Amino acid sequence: MYEELLEDIAQQNGLREVNTYTKLAAGIGGILLCLLSMSFVAPLFIAFVLSFSILFLARIDAKTYGKIFVAPVVFALFSVSVIILLAGGEMAFWRWQPLSWLSLSLTRESINEGVFVFSRVIGGMSALLFIALTTPMTDLFVVMRRARLPEEVLDLTMIIYRTIFMIMSHMVLVYQAQLMRLGYRSFRESIRSFATLCGAVFVASWEAGEDLIKAMEARCYEGKFAVLGDGSPVRLTSALAVLSFLLVSGVIVMTTRNITFI
Amino acid sequence: MGRIILEARNIRYRYPRGMDAIQGISFHVRKGEKIALVGPNGAGKSTLLLMFNGMIRPDSGIILFDNTPIRYDRASLRTLRKRVGFVMQNPDRQIISPTVFQDVAFGPTNLGYSEQETKGAVENALRHVGLEGFDRRPPHHLSGGEKKRVAIAGVLAMDPDVLVFDEPTSGLDPSGSEDIMELLEELNQQGKTVIISTHDIELAYPWADRAILLLNGKILQEDVPDVAFGNQEMVRKARLSVPTLLELYLELERRGFRLPERRPRTVLDMINVIDRAFRNKPCYTEPGRIALLDVDAPGDVDLEIWQAARPEVSIGAMGTRAKQFAMDGKIPLDFTYGVIDKCILKALLGEDSLIIITRSMVRRVHERVEEFCRENQVRITVLTLSTNREEDGPGLTSPE
Repeated sequence: MYEELLEDIAQQNGLREVNTYTKLAAGIGGILLCLLSMSFVAPLFIAFVLSFSILFLARIDAKTYGKIFVAPVVFALFSVSVIILLAGGEMAFWRWQPLSWLSLSLTRESINEGVFVFSRVIGGMSALLFIALTTPMTDLFVVMRRARLPEEVLDLTMIIYRTIFMIMSHMVLVYQAQLMRLGYRSFRESIRSFATLCGAVFVASWEAGEDLIKAMEARCYEGKFAVLGDGSPVRLTSALAVLSFLLVSGVIVMTTRNITFI
Repeated sequence: MGRIILEARNIRYRYPRGMDAIQGISFHVRKGEKIALVGPNGAGKSTLLLMFNGMIRPDSGIILFDNTPIRYDRASLRTLRKRVGFVMQNPDRQIISPTVFQDVAFGPTNLGYSEQETKGAVENALRHVGLEGFDRRPPHHLSGGEKKRVAIAGVLAMDPDVLVFDEPTSGLDPSGSEDIMELLEELNQQGKTVIISTHDIELAYPWADRAILLLNGKILQEDVPDVAFGNQEMVRKARLSVPTLLELYLELERRGFRLPERRPRTVLDMINVIDRAFRNKPCYTEPGRIALLDVDAPGDVDLEIWQAARPEVSIGAMGTRAKQFAMDGKIPLDFTYGVIDKCILKALLGEDSLIIITRSMVRRVHERVEEFCRENQVRITVLTLSTNREEDGPGLTSPE
């Protein structure tokens, strides 16, 4: 039941001490370049560089990374195969019309389109995971405050963040207690147990909320949440690395504009 | 004895469901005292503690802080809660923010400190509890003892005069409990009044200046620990047990041994009692010496060389920063709890010892050793280590 959370991994990754903005620039820049690219080459390059940094710089376990990556890739494979079969085009390798309104084909254009979309998914995913695995939520709060997110929203986000982990550990406890007493033996039983689990967690979260108010009051709450301490400063080497990565990717985007898969 | 800082006058409180929680309690706490509130579950300990910072308002009777009755308007409560810090039993319930830094900064921010002041207060508080460098960690990644320390730091950051702890050692392993008790001792040495509630009488017995036995919302007994815990009938009534050392003393007394007046509170005291009863002198060899290394002014002592020259010397550390210092220098520690007593025990065996110490605790060592020497007519020398060269100053000669 207890799975390792992305957040937990991010808290201990090898790039934790790198400035948050530097990492965000690499991730968001990567996503934008994937979207701007007109060929499949640039996204694959971005995916390669960022996955390499995730595995070797952030030192994320390869198995964990693979597991996280599998779900979106499988999903993308399904969508891409639909695109390839339905997109149509002129240079057909194979064509089949099982029904009058449905024609399936395998054309040069559709294969190119499919490969392009697939590489974009891979590139975008690695950029997104790069952010998720190297930048914990606690560091993103600093960015959110800088971005002038309304105080109320930010305070609420932080309280929710803190509470999620408490409620989750409570849920794990209740679930284990149920499991030990064979609460999930049959389908009917599972449904019943799940209902009580939800109820117990709801009550616990309610109590946690009341305690939270008490705790805040006991500590002189006046409507203010502490300003977040600054993260690590921008370092020249990492900033240069990200800059050169974005530049090279940009050049690849420009030069490979006309390259297609087949 | 300091002046009275907290006082309760005939307070009563009834839970909303109609059960009596506190039934007429009066007592006072002096500045700089260490008070242990003991009693079974449901005796009203937590309720009573929550009244000290105005979280619960008694139905009748008054509570005075600094000789003025507590008022329950918002502004007064804020001032009160700044001066009376409350550390809850479950640190998970007390820690609010997503990172350690933010959580410790919670109080100072709400008290209107500037960003710079807040930062200073947080750093200071974290250093006090030995959690330097934990600023950016999220609380759910910390161990139970570390969480407890974060909760304590959050309260310390507001620099209160009185610290109230509800079950400070619950849920901690023995070593963690000892560390927390040692931290409470250190805070007390720095002038804070400390009030705790606990079931753990073995920890409370040597620590407290005064113990208050609570049962069914009433004070059963209030006295110095050896009297309060020595009354077996009362202790049984309060569903506690007599501390082992005290029980041993009482049993020896019943068997007709002539024992010193003062009842033993630590192993050192007990050894002394036994030595007196059976051999009538505390020490048989030339007593060893105790050296102090002040981490706030370490001079030019190279501890590694020093230690290599004297491998037999036992080393203890007192104070959070001293322990940190020992950890950073990878110095193996023989004692981290009850250090002074353990070093005196070593000295009585004719062995030398070294205490790595924070400045605020130095006086405590001198006082304790002098008190012991006076009572027992022995001479134990306490030296301050400041230089490696022995001809320049007092160094501890290697026992050869």
